[in-house]
Amino acid sequence: MKSEIQFSQFDSTNIRRVRKIKEFLDSVELELSEDIEIYVSAKEDEQIIACGGLSGKILKCIAVAPHKRGEGLILTVMTYLLNAAYNRDRKELFLFSKPKYLSFFEECGFHLIQRYENEIMLMENTHNLQEYKDNLIKLKKDGGVIGSIVMNANPFTLGHQHLVTEAAKRSSWLHLFVVKEDASEFKFKDRIDLIKKGVAHLKNITVHEGSDYIISKATFPTYFIKDKGKVNDLHAKLDLYIYKNHLAPALGITHRFVGTEPYCKVTNNYNQNMKKILEKEEAGSKPIKVVEIPRIEFAQKAISASRVRALLKEEKYEELANIVPPTTMEFLMKEVVNGRYN
Amino acid sequence: MADITSCGHAGTLESSDVLIHIEPSQDIEINLISSVEELYGDDIKALVLEVLEKMNIKAVKVDINDKGALDYVIKARLQTAILRALEDGDKPDWSLL
Repeated sequence: MKSEIQFSQFDSTNIRRVRKIKEFLDSVELELSEDIEIYVSAKEDEQIIACGGLSGKILKCIAVAPHKRGEGLILTVMTYLLNAAYNRDRKELFLFSKPKYLSFFEECGFHLIQRYENEIMLMENTHNLQEYKDNLIKLKKDGGVIGSIVMNANPFTLGHQHLVTEAAKRSSWLHLFVVKEDASEFKFKDRIDLIKKGVAHLKNITVHEGSDYIISKATFPTYFIKDKGKVNDLHAKLDLYIYKNHLAPALGITHRFVGTEPYCKVTNNYNQNMKKILEKEEAGSKPIKVVEIPRIEFAQKAISASRVRALLKEEKYEELANIVPPTTMEFLMKEVVNGRYN
Repeated sequence: MADITSCGHAGTLESSDVLIHIEPSQDIEINLISSVEELYGDDIKALVLEVLEKMNIKAVKVDINDKGALDYVIKARLQTAILRALEDGDKPDWSLL
């Protein structure tokens, strides 16, 4: 007798079932992603034989048990996941999987953005990357050294200002990307506003809004929980390859500037990956020189945004004024008056 | 005419079915992915246009992922997706469809 396959959908609050999914993923050597909201599972004889997850607009942890492959189960899992996304008005979707499954997901309407060796790939079901690149090309500037910086600036400090000023000095033109994801303490709108005010003295710079393709929850989901020290090395590499193969060529970027990272292991590790990947000579893309600019210090301590956030919490405003530009200080004090930090 | 002001979807990615997603747009836009596109791509698009016309829809974006569905399946899935996107007062006259 043929046993029946049951599909079901549940959310992350169902801890017992999530644990079962984790066990299943372990068995197919996939890691459970902690930010998944909606799970889909297929069971046969009380055993999980396929699953998938939705996190924001990203589909991931999609797997089918080895003995059940080739029966089209993946299409049903994908139908459930797409329905779950559509029902939440999420239409423009991303998908993480392993490169060897590329053709499966192409059949589901996704196409490749970037892969990293045989380890990981990111796909999308739109043509937004191409559109984004077409728009970037219009902002291309000529020159010998076309510098770039990617920053979250949460919030903008004197350290950031120093980095941008130094980079602008060494570049014919500087492209500054601001991480767009609203997953930090300070909102995107405020972060980019403070950056613009803080770099107003520079004439050879374009401040770009970030996108899904540059340190976002799609390209680099674990970046936003980096305080927990769980940054996924593969995600970092994927993000850097998207930068190297798609964004940088659109703008003709030759250099990327970063601040040295004395404290945060995770960021330091990202910087090391950056050197390895961006500077590597490879067919199909131009190497990008990575320049580390030493952080400036105040009272023997490197200036950082996390220090700013700590001082805010401790209400040490005088100390704070020493490490942020007046424009940021003015904003922070307004926020304090409005009771944001009480 | 009926205005599409929100999104709707219907169908699956199983073999012989079709997954259709519609959303508001300025004009009629059809994006088709089909396992039988070379053979039936034009027919599918013509069918979609016919359904839209009968339902009096002048502007909508239709994304279709077809797995070799027969005509009446495509028609039913598209009608369902549209009905799900329409306001309650905006239901079509079934006798005309």
